[in-house]
Amino acid sequence: MLLDVKNLKTYLDSGAEVVKAVDGISFNIKKGETFCLVGESGSGKSITALSIIQLISKEICHHPEGQIWFDYRHNDGTQEQVDMLNLTEPPRRDIRGARIAMIFQEPMTSLNPVYTIGDQIIEALQLHWPNLDYNSAKQRAIEALAQVQIPDPEQRVDEYPHRLSGGQRQRVMIAMAMVCEPDLLIADEPTTALDVTVQAEILRLMKELQERKGMGILFITHDFGVVAKMADKVAVMRNGIIVEAGSLQQVLKEPKDEYTKELLAALPENMIRARAEAGEDIKYRQDVSENKPILTVQNLKVHFPVKKGVWARTASYVKAVDGVDLTINEGEIVALVGESGCGKTTLGRALLRLIEPTSGAVFFSGTNIVPLKRREMQPFRTQMQMIFQDPMSSLNPRLNIATTLIEPMAVHGIGESQEARLDLARQMLIRVQLSESHLWRYPHEFSGGQRQRIGIARALVLNPKFIVCDEVTSALDVSVQSEILQMLLDLRTERQLSLLFITHDIGVVEYVSDRMVVMNEGKIVEQGLTHNICHAPQEAYTQKLLAAVPRLYG
Amino acid sequence: MNSSDAQEVRPVEVSYGKKIMRDVFSRLGAKLGLAWIAVIAFVAIFAPFLANSHPLLLSFNGEISSPALRFLTSGDVTILGVFICVVVLYFLRLSFAKNIAILTVVGGGIALLSAIFVSPPQLTVYEQYRVSEATASYDWVIRAPIPYSAKDYIREQGDTGLEAPLSDEQRIHLMGTEENGADVLSRMIHASRIALAIGFIATGIAMFIGVILGGLMGYFSGIIDMIGMRLVEIFEAVPTLFLLLIFVAFFDRSLYMMMVIIGVTSWPGYARYVRAEFLRLRQQEFVQAAIVCGLPLRSILFRHMLPNGMAPILVAASFGVASAILAEATLSFLGLGLVDEPSWGQMLNQSVQSSTFNWWMAAFPGGAIFLTVFAYNLIGESMRDAIDPHMKRKS
Repeated sequence: MLLDVKNLKTYLDSGAEVVKAVDGISFNIKKGETFCLVGESGSGKSITALSIIQLISKEICHHPEGQIWFDYRHNDGTQEQVDMLNLTEPPRRDIRGARIAMIFQEPMTSLNPVYTIGDQIIEALQLHWPNLDYNSAKQRAIEALAQVQIPDPEQRVDEYPHRLSGGQRQRVMIAMAMVCEPDLLIADEPTTALDVTVQAEILRLMKELQERKGMGILFITHDFGVVAKMADKVAVMRNGIIVEAGSLQQVLKEPKDEYTKELLAALPENMIRARAEAGEDIKYRQDVSENKPILTVQNLKVHFPVKKGVWARTASYVKAVDGVDLTINEGEIVALVGESGCGKTTLGRALLRLIEPTSGAVFFSGTNIVPLKRREMQPFRTQMQMIFQDPMSSLNPRLNIATTLIEPMAVHGIGESQEARLDLARQMLIRVQLSESHLWRYPHEFSGGQRQRIGIARALVLNPKFIVCDEVTSALDVSVQSEILQMLLDLRTERQLSLLFITHDIGVVEYVSDRMVVMNEGKIVEQGLTHNICHAPQEAYTQKLLAAVPRLYG
Repeated sequence: MNSSDAQEVRPVEVSYGKKIMRDVFSRLGAKLGLAWIAVIAFVAIFAPFLANSHPLLLSFNGEISSPALRFLTSGDVTILGVFICVVVLYFLRLSFAKNIAILTVVGGGIALLSAIFVSPPQLTVYEQYRVSEATASYDWVIRAPIPYSAKDYIREQGDTGLEAPLSDEQRIHLMGTEENGADVLSRMIHASRIALAIGFIATGIAMFIGVILGGLMGYFSGIIDMIGMRLVEIFEAVPTLFLLLIFVAFFDRSLYMMMVIIGVTSWPGYARYVRAEFLRLRQQEFVQAAIVCGLPLRSILFRHMLPNGMAPILVAASFGVASAILAEATLSFLGLGLVDEPSWGQMLNQSVQSSTFNWWMAAFPGGAIFLTVFAYNLIGESMRDAIDPHMKRKS
């Protein structure tokens, strides 16, 4: 057994309270096996990984119970079973990096920006093999980069991290982790910050390297699609406890635990199935092609100037949105899909004139709103709203919920008196399934999902006809995501809303949207009914994008 | 419905700002700093009742009068009036903006009225009460704890200059006397007013200019930002101390002029902070949401952005108060401060004028400057720690 965790408990000391982050879990990993730890945020999966590699400071945590047995292969080839919790610091340091390597979620910050990537790999090598001279270490670094399929590794080895894309940086991180040939690789959400196409490549790469080197992988993720691609064995974690563990097939196909069942049922893929089986699909998929268009975009361009030199001369432009034509009908949900940097968020904001378009026209109910002045724009502000991505920053932390909801109403003269507005705010909170007593609370007292509901309530108090939803669920756990999506669908039928749903998650697109628009490099690649595009994409880019999506079945 | 109505008693939970303040003042450093500032503030406000040659109350042939009250200047009356106003407002618990508005109106009103109606006697003869008391012509007298005014040189007692603390058995001078024979403790007490006033008013002026210019620069960016930043760079290049020296050399030595000059030259620091905060906040989603909701610019700037960007400015302000006090002390030490009014820096200057080293002339005002600057720095340090999430996690 490569790794054998027995009844591990990790308690975090935060001030006077003790947080039971990991509360008695047991699992084991064999050589050449991939073990996936799945769970929602705060379930203790990352703390488990950090406990195994002993990276949490002793000042803020303690282990009341448990053993972490690791099969420690010494440099001379002898094997020894060691308990990571009872080791002294020097052998632990030898194990870290050399025998147990770790890759992290955020590739943008996990490389040191002032050293070349080669130096960083060489440093790791020389730490564990002090006898290795610089040139042969560099040779091994180049080999490692070649292994993770970085093009031109001989040149790339001398480059600084800022010249690499996110996906390339994650490859470098993997190269750095693999270069000492570890027996166990811990990957903590290694693809969460990456685009789906890059994610697919990284996952494939990890599988390949595993087959070649025969190492064990502890893979931590919240994404069941990724689990289905990677795992041999799966454990579902909740509140520091493993609620269900077993082989991939067992857990995905025949979940026994209630929580696992709920989690799986909340996945957009399964929600679509459930809806189709219940015959409700007709109710939600609406044919709105006959309706009047509410929003028409004509040749919209948003270019950001790139300034150079002493006089800030405009040298070139970043063409974030480059000639987009788009129509949204009344009561329609249009999904805008694309990878990061494709300009989808810029487009969404330009429609509401949060970013000034460079050229083009946006007709809302027949009026071109692009040339309007601030004051002339005011009547349209009630009709076009936006719901934002990050529930942590979308509410003013200094204002209570009542003020946040009432201020826009007062500005636009909705409700005759303060009391009437309070009453409207109260009704709106109840509509988004919060309690009216929440009116007097401040944002920091709410969870992410609750804040997102408040964000929806704030958009709705002005009675808009059209709402831009910018990645509204990407910061939320899947169970909360399903509730929010369901609520948006219900609100659409209730109020005849038109939604522009900006997202990178194809599963969500398939679930909520009537029509989808695929965007790449500021241009629209393909648009049409969601059902048609998802099942028979025409353009090469769309095909590549859809093929990269990790799916539960298939 | 009843239960939810009952819950609607206004905020039970504390706001972010209150949480931060509670966090700041739970730290020992900030507590000590605040305690010292509170002592200084108390002493400054009640200076005429703490150290005064005029008796607080006396009875002469059965007639009770209060020379101390009669000799109050219009400045004294204004300070006391504003203090009472602050105490009343504290118990009324109104909103911050209302508090500021009421305070400005009441403060201005009292200042105007006292300038017109309060007229202390032109001629002050400090020793008249001591002489009369010595000849027992009063029925009874209540004197201030330190029965000497700041400018009372005790001439009727002969040469009283440069006496060490508690060296004379008849007259008690807790901190000795200075070269002209005035009580050092009394001068220290009256000087604390200057220290506090210059700190607060100079910093207030700087913050006012800095927040408005920095806010506009941060929110609008582009061309306004560029012009603003050049202005900031120009003002940062102005050497404050030399400017003060020049003004003092050519114009009257006025406390107000010093406050204005220190204020007008130290705003760029605040403007930079506010600009950076506003550039960051501009991208925050709640600000974007406010724009989408069509809220007026005034509300976006002052309701949604400023309160969220205020924390680092307050930190800078508490260090700014400390440096303004130091600037005034430096100027006075160089002999370019106020001529007639006592100030800590000017007292330090006196201590080096004498041919002998009189420790009490250096230690007490020097210690007061040190402790006051240190207190503001402690508070600033604690504020910085409290608003820094990394530090918070550690503590």
